[in-house]
Amino acid sequence: MRIVKLKKEYFHPFLDVISRQAELWAPVKKGDKHIFDRVEDFNRIEMKTTRTLLPPKKLLVPPAFNTFTFNAEGYQEDLSHVSSKILFGIHPCDIHGLLTLDKLFMHEYTDPYYVKARQKTLILGLSCWPDEYCFAKSTRTHIIDEGFDLFFTDLEDFFLVWVGSSQGDDLLRMKPDLFEETLSDSDIQRYIRWQTERDKAYRTEINFMAMPDLMELKYKAPFWEEAGRACLACGSCSMVCPTCNCYNVLDKLALGGKPGRRLRLWDSCTLVEYSEVAGGENFREHKADRLRLWYTHKLQAYVSKYGKPSCVGCGRCLVTCPVEINVRTISKALEGEDPKAFWYRLPSEVKP
Amino acid sequence: MKKDKLKIGIYELTGCAGDALLILDCEDELINIFHAADIRSFLMAKSDNIDGELDVALVEGSVSTERDLQELLDIRKRSKVLVAIGLCATAGGNQAAFLDPREWEDNLKKVYGRTEMTHTKPLQSKPLNAYVKVDHYLPGCPIDREQFLSTLTRLLAGHPPELHRFPVCVECKWRENDCLLNRGILCLGPLTAAGCRAVCPSHNLPCVGCWGPAEEANYTAEYQLLMEKGFDREMILRKMSTFSGTAIADFAARIRGVKK
Repeated sequence: MRIVKLKKEYFHPFLDVISRQAELWAPVKKGDKHIFDRVEDFNRIEMKTTRTLLPPKKLLVPPAFNTFTFNAEGYQEDLSHVSSKILFGIHPCDIHGLLTLDKLFMHEYTDPYYVKARQKTLILGLSCWPDEYCFAKSTRTHIIDEGFDLFFTDLEDFFLVWVGSSQGDDLLRMKPDLFEETLSDSDIQRYIRWQTERDKAYRTEINFMAMPDLMELKYKAPFWEEAGRACLACGSCSMVCPTCNCYNVLDKLALGGKPGRRLRLWDSCTLVEYSEVAGGENFREHKADRLRLWYTHKLQAYVSKYGKPSCVGCGRCLVTCPVEINVRTISKALEGEDPKAFWYRLPSEVKP
Repeated sequence: MKKDKLKIGIYELTGCAGDALLILDCEDELINIFHAADIRSFLMAKSDNIDGELDVALVEGSVSTERDLQELLDIRKRSKVLVAIGLCATAGGNQAAFLDPREWEDNLKKVYGRTEMTHTKPLQSKPLNAYVKVDHYLPGCPIDREQFLSTLTRLLAGHPPELHRFPVCVECKWRENDCLLNRGILCLGPLTAAGCRAVCPSHNLPCVGCWGPAEEANYTAEYQLLMEKGFDREMILRKMSTFSGTAIADFAARIRGVKK
């Protein structure tokens, strides 16, 4: 893979050139958190962030968008969410999240709304430093060798830039004099030292190798019922998960001869309506069953099909679920440790 | 041959009439609405109201008097489909927030002095489904214009309405808001039916619950969570009960009961 060096002072000039080709999206502040947003003023870009509130999937399949309009004569596809985008600042775990979505939406059954948006999106990854909620090292998603056009490793005075695709190479060629082709030994050593230190910085570790077996062995463990009783059934875990991809489809009709719209909305298997079928039968009426399904998918079923968990260790469920039902507490409970989670603190005397 | 237009009646029991007003406020669509449906009765909009057989009755307000009750029973008898519109009809509204029947009687005396009313007997406020079968629920205080139109258009096309059955949190995440509960703010999003596009949290204001209880509102977990965040028990119950109508009565009685 081609690797070049970019001095920090050339970073904005580089963005200036490439952002003339496509919309530039990057992490910016929202309150004291971060989101991916369209950026025209490069000073807004936050270089040292942890996870954004929503993962980058929001730019490929927005939370709620119109797929087509229709009337009695026929329908017209709506691809207004598709535009040429350059996404800068995506961390390795989120790139792995996109690779997971690629498997689901681009291979066996292709999803035109995803594929068209994905094809017009360039991925410019950025290295990061873990906080206490990151566990990407446990999911082996802290390193990345595919799924990006360029990948920037931030080594303080300069970036090392990995070129991951011919489109990435084309970006460099728009301003080749900004990049240095030759790396000194001290540059290389600096990268190796940085990587070693970064790997040591992960404080949350989860043994994902054991999870498929544990999901089967502890399928009937009592903690599922307890967690189900605490679950707010609010769907937040799925909304913030980089690999959750289920959606609902809703027809909106209109008056006065105006066309109707078919909307596509992010959905979650933890919501009550998800497993309900015609006639009102619900296969997963109880929240415990829905939680178990969610974790079976993340920790077991995906592993047997693709050889790795569909969790990328980004830690969003850890920081989002208000009642501490997340990959860390559930995996601890599966391992037989008391995670001291919220569900054990629910007062039993107010049992509904 | 042109299909007969659906016969629709819009009724107000005890409430602020805000839902009927919101329907009138659909100004751009009013002509289309009256064109697409045969609006037989709509007291706020017209005077030539006919109280006959209906395909769809939209009823706002809670049942708070004997007269409300008789009117509701009559509407139900005449209507193929009955839709509760607005918080008072779907959950009982603010006026149903009295948790204990004795508390309600005391309040009635306190407010009105004498309780023998001249024209109708007061009842403790309840949502429509306390007395009749309700086919569909359109929540909100007041209802949302977009949700009303999508409900109406689906009914006109012969389909059941499809409203969100999840809590506000889903829409709040769609708008990429930082969770207010996680920031230690008393937000009722997890307990509250979605449909408002999380308008308050999107402006940094906590959800007060005005869409009424979500289908799976987990009062126990939210209560414990807020207690752990240091909120006062009565404060939590007061906030929770403001827009929960009768839905929270059992829970609140149990909390108060066990802690006494």
